[in-house]
Amino acid sequence: MSPSLILALYGLLFLIIFSLCLLGFIIIRRLVLTRREAFFSRLYRQIEKDILEAISRLDPDFSLKVAGRYRGYPQVLTQALLNFGDIIIGEGRDQLRIIFNHSVKERCLKHLTSRRTAKRLQSVRLVIIFFDPAESGFLFRLLDDKPIIKLAVINALSRLPSPETLGHIFTAFERDTGFTVQAYFNVMFSLGGRIELLVKESLKKTLPVDKLGLLVELIGAIPLRNLSEEVLALAEHPDKEIRIRVARALGRLLVPETAETLIRLASDEAWEVKAQAVKSLGKMKNLQALDLLTKSLFSPFWYVRHNAGYGLAEMGEAGLRRLKQVAGQEEDKYARDMSEMVLNDLIFPSEAA
Amino acid sequence: MTGDVLHYLLHAFNIVILTYFFLINSFYILFIILSLFGLFHHRELTRYVSFKEVFRLPLVKPISIIAPAHNEENTIVESVRALLSLEYPVFEVIVVNDGSSDRTLDRLVTSFELERSRWVFRKVVAHQPVKGIYKSRAYPKLVVVDKVNGKKADALNASLNISRYPLFCAVDSDSLLEKDALLKMVRPFLEDPEKTVAAGGIIRLANGCTVKGGQVVKVRLPRNMLARFQIIEYFRAFLGGRIGLGMLKSMLIVSGAFGLFRKDIALQCGGYRTGTIGEDMDLIVRMRRHLHNMKKPYEIRFIPDPICWTEAPETLKILSRQRNRWHRGLLDTLLYNKVMLFNPRYGVTGLFAMPFYFVFEMLGPFIELLGYVIFVFCIVLGLLNHWFAVLFFLVAVVLGTLLSLLSLLLGEYSTERYPRLKDVMILTLYSLFENILYRQWLTFVRVIAFLDFYKGKEDWGAMHKKGFAQAG
Repeated sequence: MSPSLILALYGLLFLIIFSLCLLGFIIIRRLVLTRREAFFSRLYRQIEKDILEAISRLDPDFSLKVAGRYRGYPQVLTQALLNFGDIIIGEGRDQLRIIFNHSVKERCLKHLTSRRTAKRLQSVRLVIIFFDPAESGFLFRLLDDKPIIKLAVINALSRLPSPETLGHIFTAFERDTGFTVQAYFNVMFSLGGRIELLVKESLKKTLPVDKLGLLVELIGAIPLRNLSEEVLALAEHPDKEIRIRVARALGRLLVPETAETLIRLASDEAWEVKAQAVKSLGKMKNLQALDLLTKSLFSPFWYVRHNAGYGLAEMGEAGLRRLKQVAGQEEDKYARDMSEMVLNDLIFPSEAA
Repeated sequence: MTGDVLHYLLHAFNIVILTYFFLINSFYILFIILSLFGLFHHRELTRYVSFKEVFRLPLVKPISIIAPAHNEENTIVESVRALLSLEYPVFEVIVVNDGSSDRTLDRLVTSFELERSRWVFRKVVAHQPVKGIYKSRAYPKLVVVDKVNGKKADALNASLNISRYPLFCAVDSDSLLEKDALLKMVRPFLEDPEKTVAAGGIIRLANGCTVKGGQVVKVRLPRNMLARFQIIEYFRAFLGGRIGLGMLKSMLIVSGAFGLFRKDIALQCGGYRTGTIGEDMDLIVRMRRHLHNMKKPYEIRFIPDPICWTEAPETLKILSRQRNRWHRGLLDTLLYNKVMLFNPRYGVTGLFAMPFYFVFEMLGPFIELLGYVIFVFCIVLGLLNHWFAVLFFLVAVVLGTLLSLLSLLLGEYSTERYPRLKDVMILTLYSLFENILYRQWLTFVRVIAFLDFYKGKEDWGAMHKKGFAQAG
């Protein structure tokens, strides 16, 4: 036999054996998983029943018994605690905490330093649910972990809005780089008015444009009306993105004194800023801006015309009269069409963005 | 002397074929290994994430779902109902009736109580004239556009102009999205809104599955042989190929049946190119080209769990039409963007992705067919050892089966696997037979597509679908 023939033969044999092993692995894995899933669901139903009883009895001794009974099945118990912990609050949560403390807590704290992301993430979630302030040190250490863990920890800290934890969140925000910055918005948003002072302090620092923009957006989204002065101070910012966000935030804060700034922004050199300012003026229902919005309907920029049209529609009767006037004129067909569309859209309501 | 030259040429060609065989299979194995890591990583990251939480996020971007429809009176109403029932905080559904000659528009008007609206839109990209825009008081999320026929890319451009939201999801109007598909798909856009420009989900075949209320409720294998072969192909392409290519930042296709894109970037690229029939791949390649030219960092992601169910052709005639069209689309896109080939200016796209698609996807069928011909030729002339020929053929078949098995393994780690072990066994058997006749037939179809492309054939070819099996 030639060497190439021998090579091909060995190659074929190897491939056949490998394929058969792979098929065997798929089948065995399936069988094992099916059996494990059946066992898991049977055990889960038992645990579920006992947990529900513990929650309704509110008897710490019974909860202790449940913890002891299932300590040997940490995976299933952890899953059950995660599922129930998310939806049960009050005294029921205290019973869950007893079960957690006397069964899987030690394992969970150990897993906070596991090399496997999934284990760390699962443990962070459990620690979030059954948080004990004495263990906050474990969480603070994880602020230097992978982005997903860090965000889970920040999420956990946001549920315990003490000055110390809020300080940690803002420090992490100021230090952080990369895509996770966006995620802070959601965490900070959930904290509401509590973060007013911290936002104010952060705005005094030199922050990159994306973070600054995020804070401005946050002020509008929560909304933090006491910080309108700080937002106004950014209306002349050289970066267009910041000016857009300022215009948007002012439209959400709805502080009448900020109308002048918005009117000024409606004449900005960038059409995106103009469009946003016009929209915000409409939301503010400031009748002083009626002429400006009507004029904006004749803008060469589609978005400016669009936002001016809907802005006028927001202003009520006076705005609608202006829209009808523009819809009736023939000189500017673009302004007319836009007005007609807005008037038509008041009959066919769209989903609000 | 002539005999020596012929012998030398055949020998050289055999080396080319063997090298090609070795390289293509090595790449596929590499992609599958990468995919395995990618799937594990994705599972780890999403195991403890509730996608419903997206509803609570204040910064979640609204999505315009755009669905072009041409002569789809039998399925359109159910498809639109399924799209309207998707779970996502804010979205609109734009259905474009692209000059249907049947009752597609009438069915939509009657079923959704549509009325003509005076919609004004910004014509950023060109398309055929719009005859009317319809809205409904009962379904405020729905917008139906009636326009002159201009093919799929043209219809997509019209919806891009009319859509109002910063992200758009292009879907085939005869496909079914899982209820939470948008919630899963939007994740990379939330994590990295600046860099993520497009994301693709997985396409699975609904043949044999049971559908209820626009959702697949029971996953089963079809009885049709062709559909079964295609299931293996889709597993290999999506789970084995795209996850791996995505990890190498080399994904050039986000399926036209289900893809989420940033509208501003798509519009900067001029929207969909109307002259092509592979508009999905074309958009992604032009997006990459544009962003490289602008020197902007970007990400095009493949997310392995949002599922879009579609119906596979069950006859040779329709399947050959579909594959012919796909291959012509691939040829058109690669040749249109040939400036990117081996061009270091386009980074990994120019140096790896484009050459890979060019050599293995575009020229692959030619090389493969030529290989078969020379192989037979050599055997007939006695230039090849018969035993070696048989062994090589068997190696090729078993290697093909192994790749399919590895893809089935990936399927085992993904969501919505086939629940019965019997199905896995059947698919294993089909992955063995796929390499005998079916694969060669597909190679032939793609070679014909090559010839059709050079003849200038541009039509889509009618795709008759029988519809999803409904639950009682």
